[in-house]
Amino acid sequence: MSDVIDSGTAQARDVDATPSDAPPRPTLEQLKERKARTRQRLETGGDIMTISMGPQHPSTHGVFQMVLDLDGEVIVDLRPEIGNLHRGVEKLCEHRTYHQIIPLTDRLDYNSAFAMNHGFCEAAEKLMGVEVPARARYIRTIAHELSRLANHILWLGVHIMDLGTQTFFVICFRDREYLLDLFEMLTGARLTHSFARIGGVAKDLPDGFEQRCRKVIEFLPKRIAEYERIVKHNRIYYKRAKDVGIFTSEDCYAWRVTGPTLRAAGVARDLRKDEPYAAYDEIDFEVAVEYNADVYDRFLVRMTEMRESCKIIRQCLDGLPDGPYVARDAAHSLPMKRDVLRDSAAMIQDFYQVFRGPQAPKGEVYRAVEVPKGEMGVYIRSEGGAKPARVRFTTPSFYHGQAMPALAVGEMVSDLVAIFASVDVVLGDSDK
Amino acid sequence: MSAARFVQPPRPAGSSTKRDRTAVRAATSLAPTLATAAAKLRRRFGARLLEEEESFGELTFVIAPGDWMRVLAFCKSAPDLGFDQLDCLMGDHLPERADTPFAVLAHLTSHTHAHRLRVKTFLPEGGSLPTVTGLWPSAGFDERETWEMFGVVFQGHPDLRRLLTAEDFEGFPLRKDFPLEGIVGGRVRTELRGKI
Amino acid sequence: MSDPVAQLVFLIVKAVAMPLIIITMVAFAIYFERKFAGFFQARVGPTYLGPWGSLQSFGDVLKLISKEDVIPLRSDKSVFKLAPYIAFVPAFLVMAVLPFGPVGGEPNLFGHRFDYVIANFDAGVVLFLAMGAIAVYGVVLAGWSSNSNYSLLGGLRAGAQMISYELAMGFSAAGVMVMAGSMSLVEIVDGQKGAFWEWYWIPQIVGAIIFFIASIAELNRTPFDMAEAEQELVAGYLTEYSGMRWGMFYLAEYVNMIVVSGIISTLYFGGWRAPFESWNVIPGPIWLFLKICVLIFIYMWIRWTIFRYRYNQLMSVGWKVLLPLSLANLAVTAVVVSVVG
Repeated sequence: MSDVIDSGTAQARDVDATPSDAPPRPTLEQLKERKARTRQRLETGGDIMTISMGPQHPSTHGVFQMVLDLDGEVIVDLRPEIGNLHRGVEKLCEHRTYHQIIPLTDRLDYNSAFAMNHGFCEAAEKLMGVEVPARARYIRTIAHELSRLANHILWLGVHIMDLGTQTFFVICFRDREYLLDLFEMLTGARLTHSFARIGGVAKDLPDGFEQRCRKVIEFLPKRIAEYERIVKHNRIYYKRAKDVGIFTSEDCYAWRVTGPTLRAAGVARDLRKDEPYAAYDEIDFEVAVEYNADVYDRFLVRMTEMRESCKIIRQCLDGLPDGPYVARDAAHSLPMKRDVLRDSAAMIQDFYQVFRGPQAPKGEVYRAVEVPKGEMGVYIRSEGGAKPARVRFTTPSFYHGQAMPALAVGEMVSDLVAIFASVDVVLGDSDK
Repeated sequence: MSAARFVQPPRPAGSSTKRDRTAVRAATSLAPTLATAAAKLRRRFGARLLEEEESFGELTFVIAPGDWMRVLAFCKSAPDLGFDQLDCLMGDHLPERADTPFAVLAHLTSHTHAHRLRVKTFLPEGGSLPTVTGLWPSAGFDERETWEMFGVVFQGHPDLRRLLTAEDFEGFPLRKDFPLEGIVGGRVRTELRGKI
Repeated sequence: MSDPVAQLVFLIVKAVAMPLIIITMVAFAIYFERKFAGFFQARVGPTYLGPWGSLQSFGDVLKLISKEDVIPLRSDKSVFKLAPYIAFVPAFLVMAVLPFGPVGGEPNLFGHRFDYVIANFDAGVVLFLAMGAIAVYGVVLAGWSSNSNYSLLGGLRAGAQMISYELAMGFSAAGVMVMAGSMSLVEIVDGQKGAFWEWYWIPQIVGAIIFFIASIAELNRTPFDMAEAEQELVAGYLTEYSGMRWGMFYLAEYVNMIVVSGIISTLYFGGWRAPFESWNVIPGPIWLFLKICVLIFIYMWIRWTIFRYRYNQLMSVGWKVLLPLSLANLAVTAVVVSVVG
């Protein structure tokens, strides 16, 4: 267990994939030692200044609140507070049919709304035993990766802006527009799409989407290379991000920190590979892994993930199968819209689904998917009928915000904003 | 286009893919590592595991509240189980169970063996459980949320305050008898009108 | 009109005109800052008020004046009100010693001698450094009197930062003083007769770069904008300020930028002199203005491009890199000047 790579045995699949001239990977012990060295341990007591960072603060990405105890500029203690954006999504879910829950999931992580829709639909399909047709799975994969790209580009801009460069934020927003335009074309909405349906997706790909999508994914890797030129080799960024906020794989497990933060700690854990859903088991892609567990490596992981996302979308567009885009499952899914207007059975199905809802069996399921911010689990307990008896969204930001004390105590206030941005917390996601 | 399609939908035309997906979808048999883990749990705790349920490829053990800490600690530390991550700890309310209407569920994940397990316990009104924040610090927010939403107390929790709702909120919103609409729980602060 | 009376009239005209010119320049500096930021960020910047939005700053000032002036209940009110002036006034004072054209010599205006400087002061460089040091008090007092933790942190950062960078700044300016043999800005410009390769920026290239970097820290601009650090300290020492009091700090920042650009032009880039002697037909103030504009553009360019340093990294750059380098620069200059003459 001395080696970080070996500690993630089952998932560490591309250990031998990196070239031999790569810098030596730190072991878990080395990382722990480095973490202890970079953190300043200060005694509580003495001249402690308490600051409430948030809920209204430029770099808490919403209404996250951190109560900081500072000795000079060093954080002695940190207490995260969430809940300012609580909307009672789980309670609302208990009073809605499965179809009606999908728009609620948009509002969890509004930066990657489709991934949230998708996660809920995967769980509901597992409960109902719906088999998703191939075309729908491919469309879902495309939309999921587009939302990952949009999320990571936004993340990059915000992260860099937190380190003081406002121009870069605007550049990232400009490039995110291409993705939002694609979403607008695909779903009709730019932010909250409600595009996934139980058993498939809401609509087929529109005409011209494929060409436009190809253009964007040809163009984005060039942009990603440009971001890396600006950021990766920037001396100030390197000094601000290297060895800051070290969070080893053990810490990640203990605090349930998942996603890019975990992968930056040397664990090749990606539910797209480990518990494949949609079309991910038919697509060839790499899991981005870095080994130094700091802010800089989290940036590198996300950059690689964006490249891989472009690769995944390209493969999906190449291998896009024909067929229906939603399951022909009268008991659980909505029919295709074009059938509704000319086929009486489909019309009956439509009425049935809209007015009564999908009839789920009794039982409980838990399904986790890899959303851009980490692992999102959805627990559904059904007592039969169209409405779930209990839904729980295990959202990544909830735990990432909770882990802030472990991530940032001993660092400086300036580092806190970098670390907080690097674990990617969105308050809609964390407050539910 | 007969009514038969309602009952028995035909297989979708586009479902022929590169690989047979039904194996992934409807996996009812457990992963071998999880079977080993379950056997080990059964050997260790025997009749203390009140119920065992296997559905949708997921394994659930129901235990008594008194065994909560011991079973979870074993799940974390035993090498064949190796549940190093608490994926989610959550509450549930089942009013039809008159004596023990509250359930607390822990979803465990193992990074070493890549398997998942659900441990469940049922509690009476006003029941309490020991905290597992000592095993997995990530349980801190989960337990706070479970307490505020269902009223299940976690003994020994370092900071058991309301998490998502306001400090002066009254009631447990995720209980089934809590209404969905209306001014409930909190209060409208008319006395502060004009002052802030 | 006798000569002393003429000089008095000239002095009053200069003393009135200079602040007005500076304020106008500030207004346009703010406009161009926003316009450049727009261009760097692939957008257009202000467009509505006046041609190409050029009157935007005047509109902003009107808005700031008409805004409610909020003074925090538990602040130290007198200091809170005083702090913007302490930041604002010293910047103007430096303009009094900055030569913007030839000084002394033959009568050149209506039979009288018009000096292109308000006060030919012997220790102009020292006055500049002293006024910079006083301006720090404005920031520190603003941070302290606001009775807000963010303001306090911002004020502390500003104090520590400016003290450490002032040293490097002073030592690199001392190199120029040694070369010119004077602390008067007028004589420093006189020492840089000739074309641009005879100015002090070639022998004092190290000093010039250090002075420029330190001036960014003095001006609180990215990458050294620790005191405001929007993403960390909300707005640093400005957090509790609003309306025109905030506007005073904002204007002071730009006045400082113009003044520091003028000082850098004077110390290292020949002041009001043209880059070639034959180009001296164009009057000195225009050359000085152009040099100030170029330097301001560079400040803006840096601000909208580079990341912010962390506080402790900033201090270590100041104390471990800039200060020893400026000392070495001063020593080498002193040795060379005393040996060569």
